[in-house]
Amino acid sequence: MAARQTPYYELYRKSTVGEALTDTLDDMLQNNFITPQFYEKMLNQFDKSINEALANTVKTKITFKGNLHTYRFCDNVWTFIIDKAEFKIDDPQKPITVDRVKIVACDANVNETATGGR
Amino acid sequence: MSNTTTTTTTTTTGNSSTPAQNVDISKHPSGIIPTLQNIVSTVNMATELDLKAIALGARNAEYNPKRFAAVIMRIREPKTTALIFKSGKMVCTGAKSEEASRLAARKYARIIQKLDFPAKFTDFKIQNIVGSCDVKFPIKLEGLHNSHTAFTNYEPEIFPGLIYKMIQPKVVLLIFVSGKIVLTGAKVREEIYDAFEQIYPVLTAFRKNTIAN
Repeated sequence: MAARQTPYYELYRKSTVGEALTDTLDDMLQNNFITPQFYEKMLNQFDKSINEALANTVKTKITFKGNLHTYRFCDNVWTFIIDKAEFKIDDPQKPITVDRVKIVACDANVNETATGGR
Repeated sequence: MSNTTTTTTTTTTGNSSTPAQNVDISKHPSGIIPTLQNIVSTVNMATELDLKAIALGARNAEYNPKRFAAVIMRIREPKTTALIFKSGKMVCTGAKSEEASRLAARKYARIIQKLDFPAKFTDFKIQNIVGSCDVKFPIKLEGLHNSHTAFTNYEPEIFPGLIYKMIQPKVVLLIFVSGKIVLTGAKVREEIYDAFEQIYPVLTAFRKNTIAN
């Protein structure tokens, strides 16, 4: 079942909500509450749902700036390591700052990319 | 920067080229030394490279084989960009001096070595030197064009500068009404200096007289 041909990036599995889901599914799988097939299906549905939600439902705009420490572009994925990053969400008066952040950015048009996201 | 005064030019504030006080007039009779802006060099690392491995292993690298068949890599000191090809050949651009270009090329070769490729450093060659300066007086490009037609190309509707193809040394000059000059095509910096000293008397002859400032 569930041929691994999903046109959705899997990178959000590493987000907080994605990891929580994976942890839960791991537990359920271990205790035989669910089958491996269902496990796969859930994660694929998660990929689909979160990609669509982020693309269509979330309207929040974020701007960020900082000192670019390192960049890379390979396999259609941009990776940036930014020092002293300042993120502005909603209220531009209250930016969120971090000493260092890593940003992984994939092409929104999945078909441009040979393999699914990382 | 600072106020500069030269023997031949009138005094104005300058932010480029001329620390006029200490110019060796025997070498630079005009009193102006063109500033080197870009050096392009090539080097052959004499080993086949896996560009994807380099793009993944090195920092500040871009590799998009669909658009360009080389890894584009940058370093901050000397601030340069390198194009690294599968054949092991490399082009280094952006350095401000010959030595900086060589040092940058060495640093890139070192990065490739650290990624476990048996990179050598052979056939280093400066391919192009670009310089620029400001004579600080306006120039009658039309007049210059009419009297040096064999060397010039001036089509203000296409490009506002006059293109002067000097034969000896083989250097191309872009001359602008403002008195700003760009010199390119040299293999050694002396050719830039030589070309500028040759053009300078011509420029003074075609100085545009403006009605007071």
